[in-house]
Amino acid sequence: MTESERVAIAARLHVALRRKTGRVTDTEWMAVNVEYAAEMVRFARAHAADTKDTELAEIATRLEEVMAPIAAEQRVRAATQQSVAAGTATAPQRTLARYIGGLR
Amino acid sequence: MALVSQTTINGADTAWLMTSTALVLLMTLPGVALFYAGMVRKKSVLNTMANVVGVAAVVSIVWFALAYSLAFGAGSRWIGNLDRAWFAGLDYVKDAGTLAVSHVAPNVPESVYAMFQLSFAIITAALVVGAFVERMRFSAVLWFAALWSVLVYAPVAHWVWEPGGWLAELGALDFAGGSVVHVNAGVAGLVCAYALGRRTGYGREPFEPYSLAFTMVGAGMLWVGWFGFNAGSAVAADGRAGLALAVTHIAAAAGALGWMVAEWTVRRRPSLLGLCSGLVGGLVAITPAAGFVRPGSAALIGLIAGLACYWGATALKRMLQADDSLDVFGVHGVGGIVGSLLTGVFADKRISGVNGDVLTQATAVGAVALYSAVGTAVVLVIVRVLVGLRVDDEAERLGLDLAEHRERLGH
Repeated sequence: MTESERVAIAARLHVALRRKTGRVTDTEWMAVNVEYAAEMVRFARAHAADTKDTELAEIATRLEEVMAPIAAEQRVRAATQQSVAAGTATAPQRTLARYIGGLR
Repeated sequence: MALVSQTTINGADTAWLMTSTALVLLMTLPGVALFYAGMVRKKSVLNTMANVVGVAAVVSIVWFALAYSLAFGAGSRWIGNLDRAWFAGLDYVKDAGTLAVSHVAPNVPESVYAMFQLSFAIITAALVVGAFVERMRFSAVLWFAALWSVLVYAPVAHWVWEPGGWLAELGALDFAGGSVVHVNAGVAGLVCAYALGRRTGYGREPFEPYSLAFTMVGAGMLWVGWFGFNAGSAVAADGRAGLALAVTHIAAAAGALGWMVAEWTVRRRPSLLGLCSGLVGGLVAITPAAGFVRPGSAALIGLIAGLACYWGATALKRMLQADDSLDVFGVHGVGGIVGSLLTGVFADKRISGVNGDVLTQATAVGAVALYSAVGTAVVLVIVRVLVGLRVDDEAERLGLDLAEHRERLGH
């Protein structure tokens, strides 16, 4: 999933939410920030459930899917950070850990 | 200086200096841009490249307007004059067959010499970018480059390279910019890193480089372009230029191997980034020495620089505790200091007619470092007042590509 595809889906949700709920969102931020995207998905689903809007629910699910790899990457980074701090890092985690506090 | 007859110009020297100008500009665009952009996180790759392009444009105009005249005008021991502001007097008169030459380089048109020196001013300011990537406002970068080139780079270039400059009169040897370019940029970078503070998450999160392949391509361009940087600084197509070219290549290779051995020993793995960093370290260190030393000395200078720069970018970096993001001080500052001092050790009178003196070299390095530190701090204060230095937290989290330029790299 490329960034431009994520932006395209975020833009669809932006338009749908604006039209159906009046809420204005930040498309580009939604395509890169996991927490913001998750909150917009929650909001869209709540509205979709209230109004039985299957189209809105589908777009929300699609955004959740495309943001999943970014969320997973963030979880890996957090786990790496904890493992390195605890001295229990695996080989791939140690590879990533070499970039903590310096490049070389 | 009055116009001189065209017949006094040496065609071969002029052609080589024009070629060298192109090579040195290629070191910055796209050499430094690629070298640096490969080492930052994906979200700030375009901003890093934009910084380098912006710096090149701003410094070019500032050089044309003021800085060249301040750096290479005869003036006093401390600063040049305003005779060449806006490139005034850089004439070529076809009918009379006359043209302007600089007293520093009377064998080539002054227009060519001014442009050759411009390419050095550009790369010096562009090198500093590596210390503050991923957190400095783009507008602040442009202001910084403009003011720094006039207030810091031009005086230092005058001290060292204009024959009446106080360090030149003292006998300090700097063939192509060990102190003027590398010590100057390295110290300025360190001051910038302290002034801007660390990137959010520095020391806690891994800052994974976007593409070390970019960095390798940039390093390759630097290696090739450095032939223009060093051999061009002979300002002639002669034997000294040829020797400068040879020692440049040897030092680069020795630097790469020196860093590699250190990394292989300490980390048990030689890295591509280490090889690239080492070759740059070797090139930096041979820069002040290129027109003064023999090939054997160049190998030793490169090797020592590779080891020293590895230390500079690792252990010394930890000691300094600054987020000098891409190790501008660790590679350029340390490499420049090592090279400048070793020039005093290895300079061979048979090549240039002068002997080196370590104490004189140390004086030059110390003076340049001190002036650069103070001058850079002053420039940063001015820029902070004018436009602010650092982006806000949200912009930093989002990445400077989007926050500063509303552009994204793609996949």
